[in-house]
Amino acid sequence: MNERIYMDNCVTSAMAPEVLEAMKPYFSEEYWYPSSFVSTGEASSAAFEGFRKVIAAALNAKPKEITFTSGGTIANNIALKGLALANSGEGRHIICSTVDYPDLLTHAGYFEKMGFEVSYLEPDELGFVSADKLKAAIRQDTILFMSTMVNHVVGTIQPIQEYAKVLAAANHKIWFHVDAGQAFGKLHLDVAALGVDTLAISAHKIHGPQGIGALYVKKGSRLGPYIHGVRRFEGVQPGGLSLAAMAGFAKAVEMVYQDLDGHIKQLRELSDYLLEQLESQIDYVELNGPRGEGRVCHNINVSLDFIEGEAITVMLDMHKITVATGSACASRGLKPSYVLMAMGKNHVQSHGSMKFTLSRYNTKEQIDFTVAKLKEIAVVLRERSPLYKAIKK
Amino acid sequence: MQYSEKVLQHFMHPQNVGVMENPDATATEGSPACGDQVTIYLKVDEEKLIIEDVSFLSYGCASNIATASIVTEMAKGKSLEEAKKITWRDAMDALDGLPPVKAHCSVLAADTLQSAISNYEIAHGLKEVPNFSKETIIEELKKIIYPQVGEDIITLKMVKYVGFDEKTGEVLIDLNLMSFDQYRDNVAEEIREHLEKYPEVKDIKINFPSS
Repeated sequence: MNERIYMDNCVTSAMAPEVLEAMKPYFSEEYWYPSSFVSTGEASSAAFEGFRKVIAAALNAKPKEITFTSGGTIANNIALKGLALANSGEGRHIICSTVDYPDLLTHAGYFEKMGFEVSYLEPDELGFVSADKLKAAIRQDTILFMSTMVNHVVGTIQPIQEYAKVLAAANHKIWFHVDAGQAFGKLHLDVAALGVDTLAISAHKIHGPQGIGALYVKKGSRLGPYIHGVRRFEGVQPGGLSLAAMAGFAKAVEMVYQDLDGHIKQLRELSDYLLEQLESQIDYVELNGPRGEGRVCHNINVSLDFIEGEAITVMLDMHKITVATGSACASRGLKPSYVLMAMGKNHVQSHGSMKFTLSRYNTKEQIDFTVAKLKEIAVVLRERSPLYKAIKK
Repeated sequence: MQYSEKVLQHFMHPQNVGVMENPDATATEGSPACGDQVTIYLKVDEEKLIIEDVSFLSYGCASNIATASIVTEMAKGKSLEEAKKITWRDAMDALDGLPPVKAHCSVLAADTLQSAISNYEIAHGLKEVPNFSKETIIEELKKIIYPQVGEDIITLKMVKYVGFDEKTGEVLIDLNLMSFDQYRDNVAEEIREHLEKYPEVKDIKINFPSS
């Protein structure tokens, strides 16, 4: 195979050609920002409202509840700082889990420095964080619960609706923020049914452009302003956000949502096939996280015993295959995946973990090629491994 | 890709890899918990004290495998005295460098070679088992790399004080790393891993500046 096989779509994904086409006019022809009673401004306002409607419809939200942001991380910042600061008069206790996305965990650390107290819920061995644990952690001064809907490492889908029920049953208001970066476009997301107050998504994980995301804020939420500055559009973070990026985001959403069920089914079939091939072709392969419905449709994470993930990814890269690993050696901070460690995996399982996140552009042929190469690599690296030699003795 | 051509060449096609039957000395350093482990086997000409053959096994990343390969290449055919002079810096230079965050891999490979040589010398009565002292601790600290710059923590003057209480077996180290330093825990953990293997060490206390 000559073209690159990209299976790291949970980090970012290829922009669809149709998305690029949808963006083009807004770079050079219709680049205006809104201003009152002037035709250029009205054209851009109309375009903006159209894009916002598309995002709102996908989430079953009202258009006014959608704010465009310059990415998922900024959406998380606006929601989390906005909620914590505006409601700190009611209490200073916040709840999250040890397996949340770094956006949330870095906020937890920041809140602690700011004098808040944070409770970290532990997952089970499949990565699920139960609503019972949330219930047990709630205190009189709890003001905020933040959760990652789909785990970014093992694809575990958290029980968001059950959390919402637990929070609604508390005798005071507890704000509920959800990072849905890995969930958007892979699950049916109905914010009303989910019962969340705020929810963050981004475009570039569903073949939209990089640098654009959105935040759902339920009408009536008490959210302080976190980013200050000039507001070009009502419903956009302050500053000059790209109208072209909004156009691309809307197009990417339309492409997925024209047949969301078909899209999910396609990804589920590819993932099932990948896992089946990995487990049948390669020895000492263990799935991390849940099997089947509790897992998002595009994520497969396995540990290959006795060998280390960075070496595997470098060898796969030689064959133009991009995948991710939870090994410490591949991380900047030289730490093994905190998600896998929190799930009770040992160091060798974490260091030897491989994460494949698929997209609609992956094919069965690519999976066959990848598994064949991985099988060869596992043999080669195991021959060099003292851990493997010890077991073979 | 941050690896040099030479690193990739030694990673993809390592030299001297495999278990050696009836070696004259072996050593294993690192552990699965650290994410890397190297075993080195030596065959030594007893008369001439020359390394006749050397091989290795590695559980670790690409640079771990590449440095073990180059270190064994460098040691092969050398006298024990010459081979004892091979340092992690030599290994890194021979590979046309490593990314700073990977420098510790070359330390592990060079260290394992030195341990194997030392094990040979002790087994053949060429040297005594060295006494554990403060100097031993400092020698171990010289093997601990600060990942951001790829230099050891002694050279970088990050170690402000080293103490060893022979009666209690307590090691006391003052490290000049602030609480916001992203590698502080890594460095502390590695210090523990390096010192815990000595039976003389009963307790390790690492102090940091109060921020």
